[in-house]
Amino acid sequence: MTPEITEATMGALEERAAVKRREFLKVLGVSTAATAAVGCGTGEVEKLIPYLVSPDNTVPGVSNYYATTCRECAAGCGLIVEVRDGRAIKAEGNPNHPVNKGALCARGQSGLQGLFNPDRFRGPMKREGEKLVPTTWDDAMGILAQKLGEVKSKNAGTKVAFINQHEQGSFPALLDQILGGYGIPSHLSYDAEAPVATAQANRAAYGASWPMIDFSASDLIVSFSADFLDGWGLPVPQQLAFADARGKVEGAPRFIYVGARRSLTGLNADQWIPARVGSELAIVNAMLGKGSLAAAAEEAGVAVALLEGLQKEVREARGSALIAGGHSANAGELASAVADLNKSRGNVGKTIKPAQGFNAFNGVASQNEVRALVEKMNSRSIEMLFVRGANPAYTTPTGLGFATAMVNVPFKVSFSSIPDETTALCDLVLPDHHALESWGDAEPVDGTVSLQQPTMDPVFDSRSTADVLLAMAKGDPSQASKYPAADYRGWLANRLGGNAALRAALPTALIKGSSATRTVSSSRTSALPTVAGEGEYQLITYLSPTLGDGRGANKPWLQELPDPVTKICWQTVVEMHGETALALGIEDGDLVTVETGAGSLTAPALIYIGIRPDTIAVALGRGQAESAGRYAVAGENAYGILTQSEDARSGAIVYGATRAKVAKASGNQRLVTTEGSGRQHGRNIAQATTVAEIIANTNSVEHHHFDGQASTAFLPGLRSPVANDAQGDFGVADSKDKGQYDPNHWSGAAKRRWAMTIDLAKCTGCSACVTACYAENNIPTVGAAWQGPVLMPDRTGFGANITRSREMSWIRLERYWELDREPKDVKFDSAHPDFETRFIPMMCQHCGNAPCEPVCPVYATYHAPNGLNVQVYNRCVGTRYCSNNCPYKVRYFNWFGYGEPNRAQYAFPEPLHWQLNPDVTVRGKGVMEKCTFCVQRIKETENRVALEGREMEPDEFTTACAQACPSRAIIFGDAADENWSVAKWAKDRRAYHVFEELNTFTAVVYLQKVNHPAPSASAHA
Amino acid sequence: MATLVQPADEPRRPNIATADVQLPAVKDYEQVDNEILAILKPTKAWFFGLMAAIACLGLGAFSWAYQIHQGLGVAGYNPPVMWGVYIITFVFWVGIGHAGTLISAILYLFRAGFRTTIYRAAEAMTVFAVMTAGLFPIIHIGRPWKFFWLIPYPNWRLLWPNFKSPLVWDVFAITTYLTISTTFLFVGLIPDIAVLRDREKNPVRKQILAFLSFGWRNSEREWRHFARAYLFLAAFSTPLVLSVHSVVSFDFAMGIVPGWHTTIFPPYFVAGAIFSGFAMVWTIIIPMRRWFNLKHYVTLNHLDASAKMVLFTSMVVGLAYMIEFFIAWYGGIKYEQDYFWNRVFGQWWWAAWIMLTCNMILPLSLFSQKLRRNPTWLWILSIFINIGMWFERFVIVVPSLSHDVEPWQWSSYVPTWVDYGMIIGSFGWFFMWFLLFVKQLPIMALAEIKEIIPPRMKKGHGHHHGGH
Repeated sequence: MTPEITEATMGALEERAAVKRREFLKVLGVSTAATAAVGCGTGEVEKLIPYLVSPDNTVPGVSNYYATTCRECAAGCGLIVEVRDGRAIKAEGNPNHPVNKGALCARGQSGLQGLFNPDRFRGPMKREGEKLVPTTWDDAMGILAQKLGEVKSKNAGTKVAFINQHEQGSFPALLDQILGGYGIPSHLSYDAEAPVATAQANRAAYGASWPMIDFSASDLIVSFSADFLDGWGLPVPQQLAFADARGKVEGAPRFIYVGARRSLTGLNADQWIPARVGSELAIVNAMLGKGSLAAAAEEAGVAVALLEGLQKEVREARGSALIAGGHSANAGELASAVADLNKSRGNVGKTIKPAQGFNAFNGVASQNEVRALVEKMNSRSIEMLFVRGANPAYTTPTGLGFATAMVNVPFKVSFSSIPDETTALCDLVLPDHHALESWGDAEPVDGTVSLQQPTMDPVFDSRSTADVLLAMAKGDPSQASKYPAADYRGWLANRLGGNAALRAALPTALIKGSSATRTVSSSRTSALPTVAGEGEYQLITYLSPTLGDGRGANKPWLQELPDPVTKICWQTVVEMHGETALALGIEDGDLVTVETGAGSLTAPALIYIGIRPDTIAVALGRGQAESAGRYAVAGENAYGILTQSEDARSGAIVYGATRAKVAKASGNQRLVTTEGSGRQHGRNIAQATTVAEIIANTNSVEHHHFDGQASTAFLPGLRSPVANDAQGDFGVADSKDKGQYDPNHWSGAAKRRWAMTIDLAKCTGCSACVTACYAENNIPTVGAAWQGPVLMPDRTGFGANITRSREMSWIRLERYWELDREPKDVKFDSAHPDFETRFIPMMCQHCGNAPCEPVCPVYATYHAPNGLNVQVYNRCVGTRYCSNNCPYKVRYFNWFGYGEPNRAQYAFPEPLHWQLNPDVTVRGKGVMEKCTFCVQRIKETENRVALEGREMEPDEFTTACAQACPSRAIIFGDAADENWSVAKWAKDRRAYHVFEELNTFTAVVYLQKVNHPAPSASAHA
Repeated sequence: MATLVQPADEPRRPNIATADVQLPAVKDYEQVDNEILAILKPTKAWFFGLMAAIACLGLGAFSWAYQIHQGLGVAGYNPPVMWGVYIITFVFWVGIGHAGTLISAILYLFRAGFRTTIYRAAEAMTVFAVMTAGLFPIIHIGRPWKFFWLIPYPNWRLLWPNFKSPLVWDVFAITTYLTISTTFLFVGLIPDIAVLRDREKNPVRKQILAFLSFGWRNSEREWRHFARAYLFLAAFSTPLVLSVHSVVSFDFAMGIVPGWHTTIFPPYFVAGAIFSGFAMVWTIIIPMRRWFNLKHYVTLNHLDASAKMVLFTSMVVGLAYMIEFFIAWYGGIKYEQDYFWNRVFGQWWWAAWIMLTCNMILPLSLFSQKLRRNPTWLWILSIFINIGMWFERFVIVVPSLSHDVEPWQWSSYVPTWVDYGMIIGSFGWFFMWFLLFVKQLPIMALAEIKEIIPPRMKKGHGHHHGGH
């Protein structure tokens, strides 16, 4: 239905020549609604043409791409944001960016759900009694100007504090400058996620807070609780380098993880040494000759042989990358000791490259600075508090009392664009633009400025904080002259060499140069002595790999993304070893109460083999207050049980120094997990080999051939369809009746065989591909509490649908333990604690001989000539036989109307649906869906190539999962054309098909994982 | 009408392969008409029964309406268990629907006389059971309003169903079976409707009955044509009895799911269907022969003979179970072995043991003639068999899907109130039709019973009708 343009609409248009896009849309929408009732029977208002007169550079239905900088964590990755008809719909990594080189993690992708978050502030708010009520910008700016004027006139600048989310770039410097104009001290650059202790020790030892780690140059990686694949530090560049090194197969480094809990990083290691929290320092010291290994082993609670082996390997390694992390109060000391060890092994400059380091954590404040502020607030010496971007009322240990201290501050201003615990306590809210709506810059590596530019018009009535502050300064006659630029963009342009230079740099958003630097005047006080508290268990509270310190919790994609280790989503669990659970009489899902000196938390138990029996772990980030929005309330708040502890050297927050008591509570909860069985049961789904086997050529998987097996040789590329309708006569090569399925058919439809290879040696299980797929393919999240049955629901709360395995994730990360028994029955052995883990991304395999196809009664799924297994949503009646017959179980059914507005289960509440990819159908209830190999990207490229009158270039495009993958493990392309990378990879000596014995002829080829057994162990093999 | 005790002269070991079944307590045609047509008079108990059935149907209808509005998520589906209670109940009712045609057609061709008094009820049961079963594929699909896409109808886009899909075969099998069994039931009814017509006083009803009896005049020519038509339909139905459930079994056997992908399914399903059908016949007939005073029609000999059929089919089904286990072990396919282990000793042991106990172990009691001739025991056993056969389909559908080849996706399955509501609704639907039938048309074939009244009885009452 094409909307008719009525005279009224035209009149409105003529009246306002410079009509703003969204206003125009409203007018168009109204007039369409009016005409639709007459003109069309469906009764639905469909807006097919958003623009009547489109802005320059905009073609309806064709995307624009804007390069900018990601602000979801401190790393400062480069983004390319796809914008369609004025709306940002997809975030990809910027391939030219020095940090992330085109890859992007799950959190970076989810920035879009922060931009379109339904809980965002619609405009400025001010406190009236107990509530925050909407106000106008004029009013809000007036209040702020008046308050700042009072500060200036009373000369009370020292009684004002400004907490800013730690970020790189020029804004912190500008902020300090403007604050200085009012006599306010420089701001607190706060980041609960920053590994401050390690960064400071690194700076002291290497001269760079975050050196680049060149894994490829090492043949041994040892991580001392450094979770460099879990979001610790700079997740994307670390993962890129790690996967690159491990993907080399021969000559790839062996990896040993030392730590009490096997994080995702730990699961990627070839060996696990489960040392107690804080004992890593003793181990490193012993290796440095300070103390004996036996004593270290005693402290660590592991067999001394493990440490002897570690020492031997470190000594014998030609180049090793030793990385310090740590959860304990000696993290700073540990980092120094590890730096010493690196220096003594000659690793600095070879595997640890300070010269190519990252600036992410330069100038980040410590926990003790926050504590000093709390003390000031409590002594009523702070009269005004500004908070921007950070949420300290939630992300500090509840024992610190940030929220209660805030009550002592007479006037609090928040610049947060989205409600949170801190903002709920503020008196004035001046919502900042989202990072994807604002100007800015960052200098992630020395000499390169990564620009941040708005990718779309602001979604709501927000204002850039930089502009607000500039307006304040310009309104102050004594300062106005210092700020000639009209706004922050102008200010930034002046800094970067003028408007023209800025414009010229925007296509790549990269500029040679440096951001304005800020002189950090640290108000450091001495660190608090660690208060471990009492209890027989060591408690590790760790930053969630998916939610970070909690800032991801308001994004349904991240809530629904299973934790890469525990596979839990929408829920907080207490991880404990099977032995611990046995001792406490606990099974999976039984509620347990964890009590520490700071408080207690009751949550279901999850039995996890990768943790010491004397240690338990809880992820941070969930269980936020109602004020933090509809999604963030899921789960329990682990900050509440965190005792106040600080790293002795840096005063950094310590997440693993608390002792805890654990007791069984009454009741249990279903675990919100996507895991069925965590073991392969000998089914060879995720296969692995070793370098020795590859060299000896004994790794090759059996290729089955059966008598009477249909011939599949006649189509190019991978073995291809034998289905009768696709092939003419059954498997007969010279059949005349193949139609479009004949590669020589004039249409060329069967010329290609779209295929994918996934290198399990590179895949770390990080799950960025999963979120990329959600974003690209409009996959609904189904775990919110209101997305179950409405009447008499038998399972309620967050994750109710997922407890029935109804997650819609087209690609899933399977995490298999290589065990001969259930994980809960595994006993902890301090001499042989190790177990192997394999990750395998599983999506539609686009089988050449697909079991789903013949069983569909209505041809809703069929085989396209180019090898795709196609799902026609419109034709699907929902018998679900295809899913039953799919051995890979990669088909997902719309149990409710997740894609239908006005339903309780709607997954994209306004304005979340602005992100939806217009190239992909939003599915209604009752139909089956599955991975399409991003058919919309295939078609888009085919169309573009046809329009440009040329042939498709090899590797010209790729799927969303492959594009995002920070391990570069996924390769997509045309297996029928030798020039595409995928064709080469599919013939790799490690290549295999999952369930090949079922004769499905899959188009997804996996490359075996490569294990690196200890040198002594490989001799046995 | 005197209450009749079992006559002492009834042979104790009837030969079920011949028509040599006698009704010693049935003396003449008049008695047959009077006693059987007396059933047609509505009673209070019948009315309350009908209301109860309609109430159950209402619950089912509400559940379905709610499910259509909300989406299939309100049922207990737990991927990868994408089929659940609805498919189980579908197969259950199709199975029930087998006994009727088997009894009326196959046993007719085999001249098994004990069928005479039970076949009408069994046939009606068949039609209503298939009508019930036919609803479930529609209830079960995600977009029931698009159900007609499974039917090959001409359209300008030349879109046809996928004739390779067993679900399309199902559409044909079920509709064919429903058509033929309805026709068969109706044709058999023609002479009896004529009897009703002759006794009817109400002119409107008389007209309707006259129309339905095709103006039956009881002539030799009509009887000859009737016998031919009946024989023809019996012959036509016989292969259908075997084919329908074979096709239903293809729904599973054509899939590559462990526990489904096996060639034994067609005979196994047919045997199971006959087994469950006979059990349902008992469930219906045994109370009826008591409530409607029909013990001298449906004699203990008849029950004894049918019990032997049940025993036989139970053993066939039991053998099929054992062969499944054997092949799973002998085939050496890991997926199958794991699945069958899980079926009996793992997650689903309780369902599998309900199935094995009800279908394999309890029917062994029928080796005892005493129990074969004990209607109370047969009725109790029939309930166990109904439950057992429902669980047989549960064991085939749910454990197989929940334990497929991909361990990461293994799961469980718990039905919700919507599923239960729909099962209850299906019984309400079935019994509503059956109860309505009982009071409209003779539940026993008047003409055929008259046929088997021995001549000496007829003589004794001074009537002589030439045999026909």
